[in-house]
Amino acid sequence: MDLISLHDIPESEDRYTKYLHNICETYEFDDAAYAGINPVGGVMHAIVTYSDEWQAYYQDNNLHTIDPTLHSAMRSVAPVDWLRLKKDQNFRKVFDPAREFGIGDKGITIPIRGPFGEFGMLSVTRDCSKDEWIKLRNNVMIDLQQAAAHIHDHVMHSEPLSRYLHHPNLSKRELEVLQWLAAGKSQQDVADILNISTRTVEVHVRSAREKLVALTTSQAVGRAIGMNLIFPG
Amino acid sequence: MILTIDALNMHRFPTVLEDMFQLRARVFAGRLGWDVTIADGKEIDQFDKMNPSYIVGLDDEMNVISCARVLQTMGPHMLVDVFDAILDGEPPVRSPNIWESTRFCVDTQRIKSEDSKTTVSKATCELMVGILEYSQMAGITDIITVIDPVMDRVLKRSDNAPHGYVGKTVPMGKVSALAALLDCTDERISKVRAFAGIEGDVMLDEDEAVAKIEALAKTPPVTEMSDPKELQAYCDEQIAMAKTESEREAALALRSALSVRLTPDLSATT
Repeated sequence: MDLISLHDIPESEDRYTKYLHNICETYEFDDAAYAGINPVGGVMHAIVTYSDEWQAYYQDNNLHTIDPTLHSAMRSVAPVDWLRLKKDQNFRKVFDPAREFGIGDKGITIPIRGPFGEFGMLSVTRDCSKDEWIKLRNNVMIDLQQAAAHIHDHVMHSEPLSRYLHHPNLSKRELEVLQWLAAGKSQQDVADILNISTRTVEVHVRSAREKLVALTTSQAVGRAIGMNLIFPG
Repeated sequence: MILTIDALNMHRFPTVLEDMFQLRARVFAGRLGWDVTIADGKEIDQFDKMNPSYIVGLDDEMNVISCARVLQTMGPHMLVDVFDAILDGEPPVRSPNIWESTRFCVDTQRIKSEDSKTTVSKATCELMVGILEYSQMAGITDIITVIDPVMDRVLKRSDNAPHGYVGKTVPMGKVSALAALLDCTDERISKVRAFAGIEGDVMLDEDEAVAKIEALAKTPPVTEMSDPKELQAYCDEQIAMAKTESEREAALALRSALSVRLTPDLSATT
C-alpha cells in the first residue's frame, strides 16, 4: 500500500493529524507523533494521534521535559529505536503510565535536520512483541524516513517566512533526469542516455523528490513542470 | 569488530574517541595533507559538534584501526560547507534516504607494523560493511562518501565499486578528493563480505565493548613473562643497565609496580 501525499489532503486544521493516521494505517502502527522546531520563526509544532486522555496526562505531568524518546532523537543522526532507551532512568517514568493508556513501549523516533537549523522528529509506536517489532521496523524504515521528511517539510513550509526562504534548488543533473522522465523515458533509458548507472539515476530522482517536497516521482515531475523548472514532455 | 558511537553512548567510550581523533589527525593532516585543524594531536571539526554517528573499527585489543563519520544530507554536511569545490557550484544531493560519510580512514601504519591479525584491505572492507549495515538499518538507501583516489581504487578492487560520482575530482592537500555513491543493498554488502572473507556479525554490542575495555584495563601489561623469577631478573637487569637517574627511577618504579607478581608467595599469604 502506498502512503498518500500531504498534497492530496485538503487544507484543513487537522490535515497533519490525518497524514499521521494514514502512516499508522499504511504501516500498521498504533500511534504516530511529529514534533518540530523552526529557528527561523521560533515556532514549535506538535501533532499526534494519541488519545486526548494521554495527551492531557502527558501535558499535566510535563512528560515532554523528561521523555527520552524526544531528548535522545534530538542528539542523533540515526533513528532511535526505543529499545535502546530502556536503561534511561526516565524511560519507565513515561512508559509505565503510558501502558495505563494502552500505549506500548516499542517504537522508533526519526530525527530530521534541515539546512537552516530546522529540526523535526517523527515517532511511531506499536504494542507488540520485540521480535514482531524488529521485523516490522526493518521492513518500513526506508518509507518511514521519507514520511518523516515529508511531514517535516510540509510543516516547516507552512510558515510564510520559511516558504519564502525555500527554493527547490535542483542540480543540473537532477533537472536533466527529470526532463527525460517528463519526456516519458524510463529510469533505465535515462541511465543509458546519460551514461550513468540506474542506481545513480535513482539517487538524483530521490534528491529531486525531496527538494520538490514530493513523495512520488510523477508528483516531482508535475511540480517541476508547474514551477517552470523543466518543459512538459 | 565495528562499534557505532553517537551522542547517546559517547560518554561510555572516551578512550576510543580519543584514539579515533588521533588517527584522523595522522591520516588527514599527516598522510593526506588536507587543511584540517589539529589541536592536542586530535583532528576535530565543526561537524563533530553536530552529534554525528561514528563507525569505528577495533582490533582485539580495542585499538581503533579504522573509522568514518555519517551525517544527514538533509541538514548541514561537509559537501555543502567544506567540500563545495567538489560540487562545482551545483547544489548538493538532499534526501532523507541518503547519508554523507566523511573522514573515512584506515590506520595503515598500525596494521602494517604490528603482528596484526588483519590486513589493510580486510580492515577497509570490515569498515565498509559496518557503514553499509548501520545505514541500511536506519532506512538509508545510498551513501555519498568523500574519498581520495587511493580509497576509490581500494573500493573498486574489493568488489565494491561506487555506482556513480557526484561533482568532480578536485585537488586537496597532497592528493585529491571526490564524492562517490554507494548503495546500501544486501547485494553490495554480501559482495564486500565475500571479497574479504567476513562472516557473521561484525557489529560489537555496546555493553560488550564496555566490558572488553574494562577487562583489558584490568589485565596487567606484562602477560608473557609470568614466571616471577624471570620478571625479577628482568627488573634487576633494567635497574643495573640504567644510565641516567631518570632511567633508574623508571626501572625502580617498574619493579615496585610489579612487586605483587614478583613475590607470589607473599601475596598468597595475605
